[in-house]
Amino acid sequence: MQSRFYLSLLLISSLVLLTFVAIATYSALTPEWKQYQTEYKDFLIKNAKDEATRERAEKIDIGIQQIYLTSMKKADRCTSCHRGVENPLMANAEQPHRQHSGNYLENHPVAKFGCTICHRGQGQAMNLREAHGEEHTHWDFPIMPIKYIQSSCALCHDFEMLKHEGGGHVAKGEEFFRGKGCRGCHKLNGVGGDLGKALDGIGSRARAYFPMKHVVGDRTIYNWVKQHFDDPRQIVPESEMRAFLTGEESDLLTTYVLTFTSEQMPRNYMLIKNIVMPRTDGESLYKMYCIACHSDGKASIYDEILKRTIPAIMNPSFLKAIDDNYLKKILKEGRQGTQMTAWKVDAAGLTEQEIDRIIEYIAKDRPAAKTEPFDVAKFKADVKRGEELFNIRCALCHGKKGEGDLGLNLKNPVVQAADPAFLAVTVRDGRAGTPMPPFGKDGVGLIEQDIADIVSYVKTLSQKKL
Amino acid sequence: MEGFSDKRVVRNVARTCLTFLLMILMAALNRTNAYSEDGDSALGKKIYEERCQICHGTNGDGKGLVGIIKKSEKSGRVLDVRPRDFTTGVFRFRSTPTGCLPSELDLMRLVDVGITKSFMPPHKDELSMDEKKAVVAYIKTFSERWKDEEPCDPIAVNKPGWVGSRTSVEKGLKIYKDMKCWECHGDDGKGKGPKSNEIKDDWGNAIPPFNFTTGALKRGTTPEDVYITFTAGLDGTGMPSYEDSLDEENRWHLVSYTLKLMGAVK
Repeated sequence: MQSRFYLSLLLISSLVLLTFVAIATYSALTPEWKQYQTEYKDFLIKNAKDEATRERAEKIDIGIQQIYLTSMKKADRCTSCHRGVENPLMANAEQPHRQHSGNYLENHPVAKFGCTICHRGQGQAMNLREAHGEEHTHWDFPIMPIKYIQSSCALCHDFEMLKHEGGGHVAKGEEFFRGKGCRGCHKLNGVGGDLGKALDGIGSRARAYFPMKHVVGDRTIYNWVKQHFDDPRQIVPESEMRAFLTGEESDLLTTYVLTFTSEQMPRNYMLIKNIVMPRTDGESLYKMYCIACHSDGKASIYDEILKRTIPAIMNPSFLKAIDDNYLKKILKEGRQGTQMTAWKVDAAGLTEQEIDRIIEYIAKDRPAAKTEPFDVAKFKADVKRGEELFNIRCALCHGKKGEGDLGLNLKNPVVQAADPAFLAVTVRDGRAGTPMPPFGKDGVGLIEQDIADIVSYVKTLSQKKL
Repeated sequence: MEGFSDKRVVRNVARTCLTFLLMILMAALNRTNAYSEDGDSALGKKIYEERCQICHGTNGDGKGLVGIIKKSEKSGRVLDVRPRDFTTGVFRFRSTPTGCLPSELDLMRLVDVGITKSFMPPHKDELSMDEKKAVVAYIKTFSERWKDEEPCDPIAVNKPGWVGSRTSVEKGLKIYKDMKCWECHGDDGKGKGPKSNEIKDDWGNAIPPFNFTTGALKRGTTPEDVYITFTAGLDGTGMPSYEDSLDEENRWHLVSYTLKLMGAVK
């Protein structure tokens, strides 16, 4: 009785095993690519115009195709499914049979370039899911969406050439990048601010590097970068990034940013037609490093992201009060306690010469008229009285301890080290074009003694603990 | 000789004490006086000139030395923040129905807690109760309305228990559509509706609709605050009162949906 039970158990399990073996054999014998190649072959035979073509079509071997790039040790088997990629007959066919669009393959023959150099994805994979490497396949570099594909062109070509020869998007993205002040916060090749992450190699970073939690759709680096440009705080809630782009602009920037890869192409693949020197005139440098926060420098704007007022650094009344030396000090040392970066060569990485050019650009519209001097030494300042006045008059904007909000952070070393006469002039005359009103006789009506008292108190603010 | 000098000392001390007492008495009298009439406005004027005038202007017309403050929101939208013009007697943040003057408490509260997001600082720790009363009284001198009109009774707020529930949010969404809230505030509540660029306030300045997704209303963010805004409107801006066009229940449904846009309920 018992033996019969075991016998039937054995029989059933053998049957199950057999079924599995059968299924496995079947799926191994009919892989996706084989099916596609048969379709392709049948299509060619059916549409053959003459006998010779038909014969050629019939001779097509069905088998795994592989392009091996010796210099890069890359094996691409994409053509196992995309066999018609170089065949003009397939121009209007459905994928995976369609011919490659454009004339890109004329100069980039598949046999030399393969596919994944430009399109990414997993070259050695033998089915669509793994080859395209989209979500849940744990492949870091899934196939690149066509709208960002031009980022791959920049691996081998210069932007000047791309601008005119089929790489318009990425060239535009590069121009955009230069004009949006991205490097005010992000380092690239060691130069740039440090509020954001360095951008080097961002296009070839592993997926795990990016916080994917809030990404909508596939969690790929392409979607991350694009959606982060669209609304940085949607992707990284605590982000301070000041990016306000239209959908088209963020597409262009995404394309460009993906060109920052750590991969170096072999020499025989590179084709640089133009050596373009980086622009180092004041205006270009301003756009590269300053414009993201200071925009045109004309209006002083309180920013809800940075939680302080971004000063209008090209405002005439600012320039009138501030000489180049003081400007240079601010640029070099930054303003501690605020988002203003120290730009000196051993911090954000600008050379003396570059800083001078930026200052020249900022100060180009400095009014000729000089401010009326303020002789601070004439007054015997009373710090205690200064504190009382400060608390009533100044603390509303500058904070009880001078930490700044709508008003400037007064605790930072540059202000603390400033000439008292300069501070007194600012209190007396205010800053036209900013919320800072004149407190002297032409404004609020404080007498010079009051102003001297306030300045003496401001100078003690660095000792105040927050 | 000694006795005489002692007497003189005593007399001098007594006189000094008396004078001193008298002075204190006078000061105290003056103080009580202050609260009935003139002294009051002197204190109010002093506080106003020290702390308010710089933004709200000498004449209370909102044209102080600080001027218009530009503010960039997180979305990149740049707003002009203008100090209140007290001369028209029109206030946004009231607990009283639309068209009415605000209550004394409304103004005291604004002085106390300030207005977040528009640079009106809180004075809770800066001013004593008397000083706050005085400055509010002084602000009332800028508009004739305070002489001619009596403040109305505040709006009654009784929050039903179901506010914020899923069904209430759904009903609110329907009201949001039907009452065309989206025309200004946008379908997504981000303040970018089709009419958002046309709205002007009573002074003729462009005034963009509120972006609910920022989560923080200027008046305050409790359901009660939102309810009062719908009921009382924001006088002087494009935001009308819905007291007549929506009944109380529907206003609370709209509160539910607003809370959802603000991320306060799921």
